[in-house]
Amino acid sequence: MNATERIEAACSFLLQSPPGEINDVLNDVRNIISDDDSLHEGVLPALKEYNLTQFMTVDVPGTDHQARFLFDYARPIPANATEGGQERFVDPRSKTSFLFDHLSLEASDSQPAEPDADSEPFRAALEKATLTYLEAHFHDGVASIFSSKQSTNQFIMQVVANKYNPANYWAGRWRSEYTIDLNENTVSGKVLVNVHYYEQGNVQLSTTHTISLSLPTAIVTSSPSSSASKILALIEDEEGKYQTSLNDTYQEMGEKTFKGLRRALPLTRQKIDWDKVLGYKLGAELASSKGMFGGS
Amino acid sequence: MGDLVDSMLDLMRRLPPTRTEENVTALIGICPEYADDLLGSVDQPLKLRTDRATGKEYLACDYNRDGESFRSPWSNEYDPPLEDGTIPTPKLRKLEIAANEAFDTYREMYFEGGASSVYLWDLDDGGFAGVVLLKKTMTPTTAYEPSGSWDSIHVFETAERGRQAHYKLTSTVMLQLVTRKGSDSETDVEKNNNGSKSGATGWKHEGEVSLSGSMTRQTEQDWPILDSSSHITNTGRMIEEMEIKMRGLLQEVYFGKTRDIVYDLRSVEDLASERRQRELQKELVGRLGKR
Repeated sequence: MNATERIEAACSFLLQSPPGEINDVLNDVRNIISDDDSLHEGVLPALKEYNLTQFMTVDVPGTDHQARFLFDYARPIPANATEGGQERFVDPRSKTSFLFDHLSLEASDSQPAEPDADSEPFRAALEKATLTYLEAHFHDGVASIFSSKQSTNQFIMQVVANKYNPANYWAGRWRSEYTIDLNENTVSGKVLVNVHYYEQGNVQLSTTHTISLSLPTAIVTSSPSSSASKILALIEDEEGKYQTSLNDTYQEMGEKTFKGLRRALPLTRQKIDWDKVLGYKLGAELASSKGMFGGS
Repeated sequence: MGDLVDSMLDLMRRLPPTRTEENVTALIGICPEYADDLLGSVDQPLKLRTDRATGKEYLACDYNRDGESFRSPWSNEYDPPLEDGTIPTPKLRKLEIAANEAFDTYREMYFEGGASSVYLWDLDDGGFAGVVLLKKTMTPTTAYEPSGSWDSIHVFETAERGRQAHYKLTSTVMLQLVTRKGSDSETDVEKNNNGSKSGATGWKHEGEVSLSGSMTRQTEQDWPILDSSSHITNTGRMIEEMEIKMRGLLQEVYFGKTRDIVYDLRSVEDLASERRQRELQKELVGRLGKR
């Protein structure tokens, strides 16, 4: 493998990191590649991609909340704001922007960021409803609502909940993302769940669930706060159903799929009688060749 | 340099079991000089091959490989053919034939399909070693049928001590279960039309759930031997016991744990109202206490 291919392989490993284990994977990769200089530059795009697709969160400077950052939907960013591993993102909740370091996962240099006046009322209403939903159903959830750069009537909602418990060898991540489009009257999105349990083994759950919904006009035409809480009620209902259906899937997998691969016991409901198995298959020939491996 | 192999093994314990082959290939590409260490320590899904002489399927792994060729346990032939490929001594081959037949019965009783292979080889100290391989794959015929695969690799070593034999068994199970679900919204629309508060026109959803895992366990046991065929009944019992144990662990402990963790992330019940209820209760208890 040449140097480029090695970096490509390293990037692929990083992007496969289970929740909360990116640093462990990075340490392993550093040891394996053992060329920190080329690695540092080379894997930066993969780290950025990981941070964005895995919904990494950051403590927003000067606030007591965490936020998701979403480059695509942030306000236009001056060209000189991107340097090294740092990029400027907007936190609409605190109406600030900050520099984010993709390697250290820290935010700095917070500055005021004025929201778009037309979309802000509905965005703020969605944010309020989402935070209430978050309180109700997530143990350690973080949510951010962004108004789309492309259209004043389009909003992106991201929710992420992480639990890392390396002492007990497990970690989990729940991600939800919805695009709420008030021009098309639709909500579309996805729920992604990843769990890693690695005590004396390596077991992973990975789920994808994509959803879409047409909003009734009654919802869209009411006031921002009323329509936002109705949209969140729909999402709450759908995510609740999904979580319950996941339970059913587990049941089904255990009873049908697992059994279809390997039965817990043979049809006879008894363990195998090995003397019989051998008796059926073998004549006296083999049985008579006593001690053929010597009694050493 | 043990450090490097440790890092590779640590990495393999973290990355998704579904991508083991791809990741091992990449690691070997980065560090070709450690290929043997890696291939010797990381089990990979078994490859299914067909015996040219008998048409029977067999499983390929490092233990029946010589160069680029693999030996079939049914015909004892290498494919592609090798003139001087390693084969067991005639005595051991006899036992290997019997073991393959016995584990073929085991496979049919537990897996009701799939493929099995047993390979034996002599050890320098007079004992012998072997590997029992089992694989079953479920291939869906329609989009929403479940699919999955089971691979188990049981490597054992044995040494005879008089009328006893000592066995050391290392077992690895690799498992994958996939369920795909989808709905065109029809049933949901009906539900929603009949008394839905929201009056929504119904969600469309589609999704996939993938559970995968690999685990390795070891055991050492002594069993009596009457004759050489005792090695088959002894390893048979040990492997059967081990597979039952590991299957149970995967289903009850490992998969159960991943489901519990989902509930550690999100609660179906309303946590806020639960919290309010608890506070109310506390307050009530407090007031009663003051009386």
